[in-house]
Order: sequence, then C-alpha cells, then structure tokens
Amino acid sequence: MSQALTDTSARPAPAAVSGPGWRVIPALAAVVVVLIPMAYLAIRATEVPWSDVVTIVTASRAGEYALNTVVLGFTVSATVLVAGVAIAVGLSRSRVSRLRWWLVASALPLAMPSYLASYGWLVIWPTLSGFGPSWLLLSAVTIPYVVLPTVAALRSVGGEQERVARTLGRGALQAFLLATWPQIRPAALAGALLAFLYTVSDFGLVAMLRFHTLTWGINAAYSASFDRNQAAVLALLIVLIALVGVLGERRVRGQRRLSLGRLRPVGPALVPWVRRSLFVAMLTPLALGIVVPMAGLISRLVQAETLLAIDPARLAEATGWTVLVAVSAALTATLIALPIAALAAKYRTRLASTIESLGYLSHALPGIVVGLSLVFLTLGTLPVLYQTLAILIFGYTVLFASKSIGATRASIEGVSGTLIRVARTLGETPFGAWRRVTLPLALPGILVGALLVMVATMKELPATLILRPTGTNTLATELWTKTVAVEYAQAAPYAALLVLVAAIPAMFLAATRSEKGEAT
Amino acid sequence: MTTLAVSDVSVSYGVHTALDEVSLVVPSGSVVAVLGPSGCGKTSLLLAIAGLLGIDTGSIAVGSRIVSQPGNDVPPEQRGIGWVPQETSLFPHMSVSDNIGFALSKGRRRSERIDELASLVGLDEMLHRMPDELSGGQAQRVALARALATDPDVVLLDEPFGALDAVLRHSLGREVVSLLRGRDATTLLVTHDREEALDLADLVVVMDAGRVVQVGTPREIYEKPLTPWVASFVGETVDLEGEWQDTALECQACGQREACEGIPDRYGCTGHVATELGSLAASAQGFQPRQGEKVRVVLRPEWLVPQATGVDSRVVTIAYAGHDALVELAVQPSGTRVRARIAAPFLPAVGAPFGIAVRHPALVFPVAPDTAASLETTAQVEDDPASRARSV
Repeated sequence: MSQALTDTSARPAPAAVSGPGWRVIPALAAVVVVLIPMAYLAIRATEVPWSDVVTIVTASRAGEYALNTVVLGFTVSATVLVAGVAIAVGLSRSRVSRLRWWLVASALPLAMPSYLASYGWLVIWPTLSGFGPSWLLLSAVTIPYVVLPTVAALRSVGGEQERVARTLGRGALQAFLLATWPQIRPAALAGALLAFLYTVSDFGLVAMLRFHTLTWGINAAYSASFDRNQAAVLALLIVLIALVGVLGERRVRGQRRLSLGRLRPVGPALVPWVRRSLFVAMLTPLALGIVVPMAGLISRLVQAETLLAIDPARLAEATGWTVLVAVSAALTATLIALPIAALAAKYRTRLASTIESLGYLSHALPGIVVGLSLVFLTLGTLPVLYQTLAILIFGYTVLFASKSIGATRASIEGVSGTLIRVARTLGETPFGAWRRVTLPLALPGILVGALLVMVATMKELPATLILRPTGTNTLATELWTKTVAVEYAQAAPYAALLVLVAAIPAMFLAATRSEKGEAT
Repeated sequence: MTTLAVSDVSVSYGVHTALDEVSLVVPSGSVVAVLGPSGCGKTSLLLAIAGLLGIDTGSIAVGSRIVSQPGNDVPPEQRGIGWVPQETSLFPHMSVSDNIGFALSKGRRRSERIDELASLVGLDEMLHRMPDELSGGQAQRVALARALATDPDVVLLDEPFGALDAVLRHSLGREVVSLLRGRDATTLLVTHDREEALDLADLVVVMDAGRVVQVGTPREIYEKPLTPWVASFVGETVDLEGEWQDTALECQACGQREACEGIPDRYGCTGHVATELGSLAASAQGFQPRQGEKVRVVLRPEWLVPQATGVDSRVVTIAYAGHDALVELAVQPSGTRVRARIAAPFLPAVGAPFGIAVRHPALVFPVAPDTAASLETTAQVEDDPASRARSV
C-alpha cells in the first residue's frame, strides 16, 4: 500500500502535461558545446597516419607511460578504498565531540591542489621523486573522495542490521562485512573510481616528482619536442583509460542520493584499540597532504631572502588573473549547465538522460587533454582564437561544467513537484512558477555549483599552462614555473596566495554544506 | 454556486489505467468525499480536475464551462480551482503571509485580504513565521487559506489531514469542512480514511482500481454497500454463508412481492435468508436470488446484539477498544465464528454463553464475486487492528 503511495509521486511529474518539448534545444546546444573539444581530439587523432601510431606506441616510451599511469591509478584507488572506508567507519562510530569539525578536517585535502602538496614536500626534501612519493601523496589528497560518501552511506544504513548480526552470533568484523559493507560498497567504490580518475588525470604532482605518466608524456611531446602527433595519440590513450574509470563509476554508483543527516554516531561502538588506530589512520592523510606541505611552504615563505625577493606587482597581477578567469569560468559553466540540469531534473526521457550523461562525460577528461584538443581546434579552424583568454575560459567551462550540472540538477530536483503544481493552481503560468518557486529554491545549489567551478579553476594547472595567452600568469602557473626551475623560494608567495584565494570560495562551500548536512 | 461534473473520464499512464470512465457530480456547495484504497486513482482524479493531468477520454466541467477534454485543456492557472495537497506544500522560502498572498496581485487590498484569510483559519498571530516554524496542523491551515485567496468556486482537498495525528485529524477535518460549507464552496475531499469520509461528506464516492464502485450518502454506503468489497472497505463485516428462502423479493420500488423477471440490478429488495444465526430478514444487493440458492451473507458487528433467547454461542476472545469491543463468538454447536460490537460497560467474560440476535436486515450477495474483490476483502480484514488483536 505504501508502495502504491510512493508510486503516485514517482510518476512523471503531472505538472509537465507535455513532454520536454522546446526545453531540449538549449540543453542540446549546451552539451554540443561541451563535447566539441573531445570530438575534435578524436578527429585529430584519426588523422595521424597509422604507421606513425605504431611507431609512437612501440618506439617511444608510450607503453611505459601508460603502464605507469595505470599502476599509479590502481594503487592509489586501492589504498584510498581500504583506508577511506576504515576512516569513515571510525568517523561515524566514535563518540567524538565536534564530529562536524572532524568531517570538515577530513575533507580538507580536497582543497589542496596536488602540485601544491608536492611543492611543499620538495621544499623540505628536494630529492623526493618517483612512484612511492607520488602514490602516497596522491592517496592523501584523494582520500576524501571515499571518506565523505562512505560516511554518508554509513549514516543512511544505520547500524541495526549489524547489531542484529551480532546477536545472531557473528563477530564484529564479520557482522560489518555481512550486514553493512554490501550497503556502503557502491558509495565507497564510486569514490575509489573518482580517485582513480583524479590520479590518471593528474599532471602537476607527478611532473614535479618526475614520475613519468601519460600526462607528463603529453606535456613533454607537446611543449618540449612539439610532436603534435605523438601528443594526440598519448591523449587518446589517456582518454581511453579515463573512460574505463568513468564507466566503472557509473556502474557501481548507487542511484540513492545520500545525505549526512543528523550528526551523531551511528552503528555499534568501536573497541578502544580499533578506535585509536582509526584515529591515527585519519590523521595520516592530513599530515601527508596538508600539514607537512604547509609547513614546508610556510618555512620557506618566512625566510628573509624570500620576503626580499617578493615582486608585489607580479604577485598582484597573477592574483588578478586567477580571480578573473575563475569568476568568468564559474559564470560560463553555470550558464552551460543550467539548461542541461533543468532538463535532466524534470524529465526522465531517454533523450534527457543521454544529454545529461554526455554533459558529465567531460569530467573524465584530464585538463591536459582538453588543453591540447583546444589547441588543435583553434589552430585547425580559427587560429585567431589561439591562446586567447576566451579559449582559456572555454577550456575551464568544458572541464568543470559537470560540477555545476551536478549541483544544479540536484537542487532543481529537490524542488517538490507539488509546490510547482500548487503555484499553477494559484494562477501562475509554467514560466511564472519557475521564476517564483523553482529558481529561488534552487538558487543556493546553483551558487554551490558556481563556487565548485571557481575553486577548481583556481587550482587548474595543465590546461592553463597550454591555453593561457602569452604573458598571462596565474598563481598556479607561476608556482609551477618557479618550482620546475627549482626556485622554491620565489614560488613560496604564489603558493601561499593560491591557498588563501582558493580558501575563500571553499569556505563558502563548507558553510553551505554544513548547513545542509550534505555529503559530497 | 458551481457544480463540478466529471463525465466518463479515463486516464492512463502507459499500460496502467489510473481512471477508467469515471463519472461523478459534485452538487454546488456540497462536500463530496472520494474514498478508496491507495492507488485506486483518487489522486489522479483530483489532478485531472485541477488541470495538472491531461485526460484521455470524457470531459470535466465546472459550472457550464468545460475545462478538460482530450487534447483541449484549460491550463491549471486559468481554472479557478483551489487545491490543498497532502504533503507539506507551503513554499518554504516564503513567510506565512507571502504564502497566503501568493495568488494575490500587489496592492493595498492584498494585505487586507491576507489578514482576513489568516483570521479565517485562526492564524492571525503567525503571519511572519516561516513554514518550518509551523506545526503540521498550522501548515495545512495556511495551505487552505492560500487556496481560498482567490475565492475559488471549487476546492480540492487531497488527503489534507493525512499526515496529522488521529485526534487533530478529526477536529481539523470538521473545522475545515464547516468553514468551506460556510463559504458555499463546492468541495471534493480525497481520503483513504473511511471515518473521515463518512463523518465529513454529504456524498461519498467509493473508488477502486480506477473505477467508481458506489456513490451514496454516508449511510447508504455503510448500510447498503453494493458489493462485499465496499462493505468491508467502509467498515467491519461479519461474513456468513446462507440459503435464500423466498420465491420472490419484497420490491422496494413497487412495494409488491414479485418475481422481478427481467429487471436487473435489484438493490435493497427484501426477503429472508437461512443462516447459522437463524432465518434473517435480508436485502438482496444487486441481484435476484432464487429460492434455495446459496448466497453470501454480510452483517455489521453492531447489528449483532445480546439477547437471552437468541442463537446460542460462546465468547472466544475480546478485542477491547475502550469505548466498545469486538467480541468474537463461536456459534454452537458448529463453532462458526462471528463478531459482535458490544458497548464497553456490557462486556461478557471470555467463555461465557452469549445469545445472539440480529437487529438489521442482512446484506445478501451472490456467492461467487469476482476474485479480485474477494482478495481485497481478505487484505482489508488482515489490516484491521481489531482482527489482528483477535488472532494474537
């Protein structure tokens, strides 16, 4: 009976007497725009003569790069899966005070650009390089992708079944594995696959630590030897690897929307030694990904030679560009995302969900690939646009529109259909109901999407390096060029400002989230 | 002063038929309750009337104006129909005052009208509160005031009290309905709560599986249900087997005993039926039984009363409900179980002898009803708290 009740509300919203109709057109246009770079990359790569492809894959070090990429991706995602689930269990089941504070702390590494973490370590330990450090640092930076959704999943599962399993004679670990793990697995695996995508796409950290993955190879081929064919083939390879990750993520991701709900411990209490070791496990990524790098950064920043060498004009210029491109990208990405999200939130037709999936596809594209394909695109079609601010912002839009689509869609979907129907019976036209009810209620979510794009843009490195107009430097590119030139002291002020500037939108985000108690 | 008329309306979602040629008339100024189990199509009916759901066949008219026809719908904003949904439906980003005034255009009259509506529903003090600062009952009062803001001719209430606790549900229900009667609003109330429907409405429309099964006054629905399913849906029943004893019916229409050959659908025509509780006065519901035909006999528990000279039985269990109790009786000597509703001060003891008399004509139905209806009946009995208590 209750099933029949929920069915009534789950039917296609009766307010939409007709189908999506004209609403498809702007959404379709938006998604086509987002897909242009990838389509062009595919075209460009097929133009490479087949013999060249064979040469590139066999003779160059493409195989080694691909292997390094895959191995790093798998080790990082396996590490964050195991450690992240353990930390999530510790966070949800310890009777710690200020649980919300701990949750925010465990999310902090997300705010840290990977290359900033590696920079901080290099300051302290200049010879650091290779697989080991890359693996550890990337794990520390990506672990929140598993911890946050798993905490949310644990909350929605509660602990009743596990308690029942205990009363039926199972041990603590067995009861967890039998009763709780199957229910949180989709969230945890989806998080691990996001970590995989992040790792495969990462450029700055592996390049600074001189671990040769595909992104490093692409950059070398493009900027060092100007071998565009090789760069295109490597880019296609990385897209293939990333697509495996995206498809996997779509497969395992539960359809359930998760929220943190009431913040109090859920599930059986932990025995003290388990609780203490989980506490240590939680502090480790914070130490590796935040504390040590920040210590390195600050120690170098406060040295007299650093302070004397600061060039205020150049610093201000880089900050200005960073803020300018971030705000512009947030604006354009929101405009692109709005029609797609509005369509996907209200209609579940095949066309609507296809458009939405295509919109999300771009989040699998590494920044360096988008940068490269936009270079190919501008040089191949409109050379006037090559290395203009417009194309740089377009690159960010393509890269990060999916962040805005997600947040916007969720917030529009959260507006109850009943409210819109009530507005209609009270005399509002469909557009009037949208303006007076849907838009004001969805606005916070749309702003969250814009802030997410802003933070991501400020931290973005590889696409910025490739697409920026000559002479335009952002905080990220300045930090990068100074670090690879081993001018750690000159890099320090840029690193510090990047942390501060990116912290502003991040703080707004943290505030809106803890208000709503949302998970991701 | 507007009659709402729904004629032969069908609506389907893909293969699922939500409304199957539904017709009903809500007389001007009256309160009609649509009663049915979850998923019977009653919410779809309301959405169709409000213009929020297109119809496949038939028409819907408000007064002399046809508002729905296949492919020709007046949009909801032009219908002038007020709608109070079940869920929390207040705009969460607007104060009580702005919620009530949503449909009112800006101007001096607006705030006067808001004050007027707020005092109508007894919420003058709360105009500046936000919806999340209201209780469930207060929120529904605001929703009602908001729906009444433009003086709609027709008001639709979709289980508006469903989320409230039982005591508040009844008092608020009575208050709202008397308020609507006072304004001469034509009201359609959808509910799955039989007591709410019987208590509040002038007419009750019973729906099942997208169809209208019976329309009648609350008393007609309860005392003269057209099918065994309606009988058990609107109240407790006692089911017995019986054998028809008369050769003809006492015809209600003509007052004569006649064979009624060729007259279909005989309702309420009386005769006698032999049961374990003796020979009972009975009314045939929708058919003409032949003498000696096996029939299905339905009684209400409150029609069974104690009488020293009645049919002998023993008290088996007592499901106590405070004001009264359902007493389960084993008829002697067969042991057939029946239930009687006995006022609490006069309860017998378990195991005590109990003489049964029946003081209302029994309802007689054909033995083989359609399978679906009988399944529903079982489900209803299982759902009933009293019967659950009995089986424990």
